Order: sequence, then structure tokens, then C-alpha cells
Amino acid sequence: MASCTVENQLYSWYAYDEASYNFLKNNDEKSRQELIENYQQIIEKQRGTRKVPPPGIYADYGFLLLQANKTVEGKALLEKEIALYPESKVFIERILKMIEDEKK
Amino acid sequence: MLVTSCTTTEPLKKSEAYKNMYSEKPLTVLLMAPINRSTNVDAKQYFHSTLALPLANNGFYVIPPFLSMEILQKESAYDSEMFLNAPLTKFGEVFGADAALFTIIHKWNKSYSHVIVEVEYILKSTKTNEILYSRHGVVDYNTAVTTKAGGIAGLIADLALTALNTATTKYVDVARKCNGYTFTDIPAGKYSPSYNLDGENNAGDKTFRVNLQ
Repeated sequence: MASCTVENQLYSWYAYDEASYNFLKNNDEKSRQELIENYQQIIEKQRGTRKVPPPGIYADYGFLLLQANKTVEGKALLEKEIALYPESKVFIERILKMIEDEKK
Repeated sequence: MLVTSCTTTEPLKKSEAYKNMYSEKPLTVLLMAPINRSTNVDAKQYFHSTLALPLANNGFYVIPPFLSMEILQKESAYDSEMFLNAPLTKFGEVFGADAALFTIIHKWNKSYSHVIVEVEYILKSTKTNEILYSRHGVVDYNTAVTTKAGGIAGLIADLALTALNTATTKYVDVARKCNGYTFTDIPAGKYSPSYNLDGENNAGDKTFRVNLQ
């Protein structure tokens, strides 16, 4: 059912709803890994009409990496969110500053 | 113009029904944690994980849901009930949000082949505290499965599959359908090709009852 509507949508999401729900509910390694794979798929195989990842994907993916102590990659993804969606700047810069403060 | 509550069947245009959407033109939406007044303990999560998609698909910037949830929890703002009738300026400052979306799950009842969900959506401006968009609906989701087999064998197969479908019921699916249905009516956001072009379209009813398969 999803495959026939995806072409006309702004973004393709694949199994985003399920992956997000499973991670919210279980918060374990398996669901974390599935969510990461979903993010990668959304970023790399974007078939929506805008041809860019939807709002929040870079940032939430970066956030998962930050939690796994992958600070450099995580921060780079947060920067990508701002570059793609400048309206996210207020919030994302606050997060970046929090990360800096935690290191001090 | 005076807007009176009347029973006319003449449908409102979107530019009239959702006047504030057209004057404020919100772009960034913060998803508040859903308020769960139903007896289904997981309903909150079902709804939270399926809210971003329809809003983004309608052209809005949805503030990253996991990241924002973390900050809402850190700032002890995870209980959205507290903010339903409170000033939202702070959410504008911290999240850069133009609007905050409240979701109230009033009911989530399950029977043999149906899930009946009553849910209310309120999108409020963080600048003026005005309601930008709201809908209150009852969604009757039929989980019955019909195979095309026909005959007695087909009937037995249908009954068995329906039981299975309700047991494991794809509740995420139910929430997704509710959210998807509700936001089909929202005036398009900046990233949609229909942005600013849908004001003349007819708006749906603010309260609705719908059967989804």
C-alpha cells in the first residue's frame, strides 16, 4: 500500500513509524540499530518529490550517535540539519552548546 | 466578519475555517507529548511516533521528535496537560517553534474486530497562544481481514486472520491512520507545492467520525 503513494509525497520514510515506536517502547540495542538503519535508508534512498531527507532525520540520527559517544559524527549530522533546514538553528545550536558545556 | 455557530451545510473554505493558519503562517511545529486519557497505556507512544510524518508531508518543519522529547523531559515539560491553557512563549524561545501541537487521546477501545479511537488535536501558536488548527474525531478502525477466497473455507480463513490482526493489532497503524486523516485538512506548510494556494478549498468538519479500513 505504501509503495503506490510514495511517489507523490514530499518524502519517503520507509518503516519510520514502526522503527520509532519500537525504539520508544523498547529502547534496546536491537530497536536502536533498526532505527539507525531506517534513518540511513531515508537519507540515502530518498524518493520523495523534494529529494531531500524530511525534517528532523539528520538531527535525530545525530542525537542517537551522540548518545553512543560518537561525538564528531553526531555533531556533523546536527550541522547538516541546520544547513538543510535553517529554521532549526535556534534549537540545534542550543543542543550543540549543551554538548560543549558538558565537555567542560 | 461575524462567525456564528450555525448548522448550515455550506462548507467553509479553508481560509475561513483555519484563518489563523493563513495569517500566522507557522513553519516550525513542536510535538508536545501526547496526553493520554484512555486506558491503553501504550497509546501515548503510538501517537508520538506517528505525528511527525503527516505534518512533514504537508510541508511543515517538525522539530526533531526524539531530540525535542529529550529536552522536554529534561526541562520537566513532558506533562503537556500543564501547558494546554498556559502561555507558550517559552517553547518559541527554546525550540524556535512557531506552533505547538497538543494531542489528547480521549479513548482507545478495542473490540473483536474494531479499534475505536477518540482523539483531539490542537495546534497552538507560541506567539499569540491562539488556536491555529484543531480537530476532534472518532475513528472507527476495522481490523477485520477479508481474504478473496470466498465460500466456507474463505470465511473461516477470514475469521482466523481477523483474530490474529486484532491480537497483534497493528496499533501503530491505527494511530498513523488517525493522524494521517486529521492532517489531510491542514492548510499546507511552506515546503508543500500547495502552500498559500489552498485557501479556496473546502475545509473538513472540525469534529468528525470516520470509518477506516
